Amino acid sequence: MALIKKKIADGVSLNYLETDKFKTGYMSVNFIAPLDSATAAKNALIPSILLRGSVKYPNMAQINKKLDYLYAASLSSRCEKRGEIQIFGLTASMIDPAYTIDGENLPLEVTDMLADILFCPVTDGEAFNAAYTESEKTNLIDAINAKINNKAYYARMRCIEEMCKNERYGISETGTPEEVAACTAETVYAQYKYALKNYPVEIFFVGSCDIDALADKLTSLFDSIARTPMAIAETEIIKKAEAVKRIDEDMPVNQGKLNIGFRAGASIKDADYPAVMMFNEIFGGGVTSKLFMNVREKMSLCYYCSSAPDAPKGLIIVSSGIEVANREIAEKAIFDQLDAVKRGDFNEEEYESAKLGLINSYRELADSARGLEMWYLGRLLNGVPGDPDSVAASIERVTRDEIITAANRVSLDTVYFLNGTLKGEGEDA
Amino acid sequence: MLNVTTKRSEFLKEEYYSYTHKSGLPVYVFPKQLSTTYALFATRYGSIDSKFKLEGDKDFTVVPDGIAHYLEHKLFENPNGEDTFSRYAKYGASANAYTGNTMTAYLFSCTSNFKESLEILLDFVSTPYFTPETVEKEQGIIAQEIRMYDDHPFRRLYHMMLEAMYEKHNVRINVAGTVESISHITADILYECYRVFYNLSNMMLIVCGDVTVDEVNEVCDKVLKEQAPASIIREYPEEKAEVYKKRDEYAMQVAKPLFAIGVKDVDISDDPYMRMKKSATADILNDVLFGKAGDFFNKLYEEGLISGSLDAGYSICKSFAYNAMFGESSDPDEVFARFKACVEDAKKNGLCREDFERSKRALYAAMIKWFDSTDDIANNFLQFKLDDGDLLDYADILGGVTYEDVTALLHNAFKEEFYSLAIVKPLDTEVK
Repeated sequence: MALIKKKIADGVSLNYLETDKFKTGYMSVNFIAPLDSATAAKNALIPSILLRGSVKYPNMAQINKKLDYLYAASLSSRCEKRGEIQIFGLTASMIDPAYTIDGENLPLEVTDMLADILFCPVTDGEAFNAAYTESEKTNLIDAINAKINNKAYYARMRCIEEMCKNERYGISETGTPEEVAACTAETVYAQYKYALKNYPVEIFFVGSCDIDALADKLTSLFDSIARTPMAIAETEIIKKAEAVKRIDEDMPVNQGKLNIGFRAGASIKDADYPAVMMFNEIFGGGVTSKLFMNVREKMSLCYYCSSAPDAPKGLIIVSSGIEVANREIAEKAIFDQLDAVKRGDFNEEEYESAKLGLINSYRELADSARGLEMWYLGRLLNGVPGDPDSVAASIERVTRDEIITAANRVSLDTVYFLNGTLKGEGEDA
Repeated sequence: MLNVTTKRSEFLKEEYYSYTHKSGLPVYVFPKQLSTTYALFATRYGSIDSKFKLEGDKDFTVVPDGIAHYLEHKLFENPNGEDTFSRYAKYGASANAYTGNTMTAYLFSCTSNFKESLEILLDFVSTPYFTPETVEKEQGIIAQEIRMYDDHPFRRLYHMMLEAMYEKHNVRINVAGTVESISHITADILYECYRVFYNLSNMMLIVCGDVTVDEVNEVCDKVLKEQAPASIIREYPEEKAEVYKKRDEYAMQVAKPLFAIGVKDVDISDDPYMRMKKSATADILNDVLFGKAGDFFNKLYEEGLISGSLDAGYSICKSFAYNAMFGESSDPDEVFARFKACVEDAKKNGLCREDFERSKRALYAAMIKWFDSTDDIANNFLQFKLDDGDLLDYADILGGVTYEDVTALLHNAFKEEFYSLAIVKPLDTEVK
């Protein structure tokens, strides 16, 4: 399965992963913006406002009725950050035409619909529809505030936020509630026009379709726009942490959340990044890692304790949920495991398990259309070539010494603790 | 020769093989040409099974809440002290397990060394090994799992909805139990639960991937010993038709109120086909009334009464059934009032036939999407089989649901006395 790339317009590409193994095709249109607090909120609002209605499908009920008719096709908004890049746009999925009654060409029909939603929004002069804009602003502010609902996610996000306070990475991909509130139907529409003209656009299709017809259709859609695309933003990588930051935050919850942020000393762009992946796997990547085997299994301190790399930004974040009283013991236990890897205190079995586990996950990637799209998009944004097989092969070559070197480049940046202030089981519901 | 049955769906262009291994274990092999092979070894034993005995036993055994889940954790330990995850890791497989109201499942996925991984799965689940020390060690881990769920608003909401609907039924019990209840679990009780529920006739093996029946059978032959089937007698408390509480709320650290509207259903057929049909009928009804293309959802969304999505779905098994709707709203009581008005309006004026046709067609087409990953297939397959249903039959059953079926369900199931509203609201100090 090779990635075929076609130029659609200046700074607009179609990436085609041809495969007939899925019954569902997956498509995405991604605008690639620098992560910037002046534009983050506006960019985040654009896909949500677009999905409220277009000229042909003026409200959500119409859009959803049409999607039902297209054999339960789906259209969704996307907004996320990858390193110091904000990606926003639309994703779509549709069943393979082989399962339709009359062999309808669903990839093209869904593209038509997606195009109408993307290029022909409901407008009022040089502004989006005011009601749609206000309602999506409220929804986005609600969604930002609701990040607190999932405590594990919230604690991890806060750890990164504090850690990267003085970097662009500290900016949220949704903007702040204040920034969202300040948006208007006019300013978001102006930003939408700006995005169509200036942001690089990466379009993906995973599945099987008539790629030439799809490319022609997309080309004609972008034809009327005088594109002046900017370059994809670079992510600043801090290789070594300076003074350690400690942040404690009280919250009326039962469980304490201990999150520890490290600088990995390398990012996805570095040739030796596979060694970082291997280090992370041995340290805290999965259920045979040192964190799981010791902090959970031996010490019974937690249900979850794991580390995950943030490859584009070059971070490693440890997350765990613990009894508040055990905070110091847990923190020490986590650092002890890191020190062990630094000393090379891991055996052949741990090394082989880490390797096989990672290779297995790259092979499993081939079975998910969405997973493949996310993976290739990530490579592309960072200008690193390769496919899952070649990355798996580079994991295969990582030596013990390279892992120890990678471990010794890891530096502690931030310790974030969400201090649960509730007492007892909270079983009074 | 194995007595293998093939079942095929022409619409879905999928098929699977089934047979009973000589040990007594029902085996299902679902061929799929993907890189990942996924295997599930499951038992019909979940959090609701707290009073039981085997046929021939003198007395019922009553066990602490959360024990099925505790047992799931403890089976990962082996007599030689080796950790199960480490055994899998030698072959690159990724393993896990989960416990629900009516089942416990052990699983792995792999892209190579399938037979070695399957051998580990069958072996560790059929080899219980508990000591007071290893049981004790798990208390801290599971206590933290429970505390994590206590802080999780959607888990809390879901559980509160069940507690409001059911007065006595064991579905009220939290799958993981409580920190207090699990403190009573001992190695002896774990062995007793294992003896009753981990009989191979009460279990099933599901494998989905690029594998053959012979490959699976070879490993079963190697690991599994013949076992006389067990007849399990489970006792559940009687439950009335009406809901226990009409409304309940709980304050915790959330941004905006979350709500669940439960519709309790005690009208459960003994025939698995009829249960599947009811489920398909309810899927269509939920889509017609509360789906994204409908008036109910769109009005609430446009008025800002709900933020984001609204999820409505129906669950049914032999022992309990309910419809549930989940969402986030600044005014859950108003949403509840609108829900009731929407239902009454549909009863009075009839469902829109065009909406019925559209929903049915969309749900039918959406089933195609269930067959793109070995993980989804195996887990969906399991959910149907646990209740003696069949995943491949579901599309046909859905295709056969009539407008009259949906209308009848609307009138019979959606009545005020079956409704419970559960709300998780922000802490008082947080209210603006």
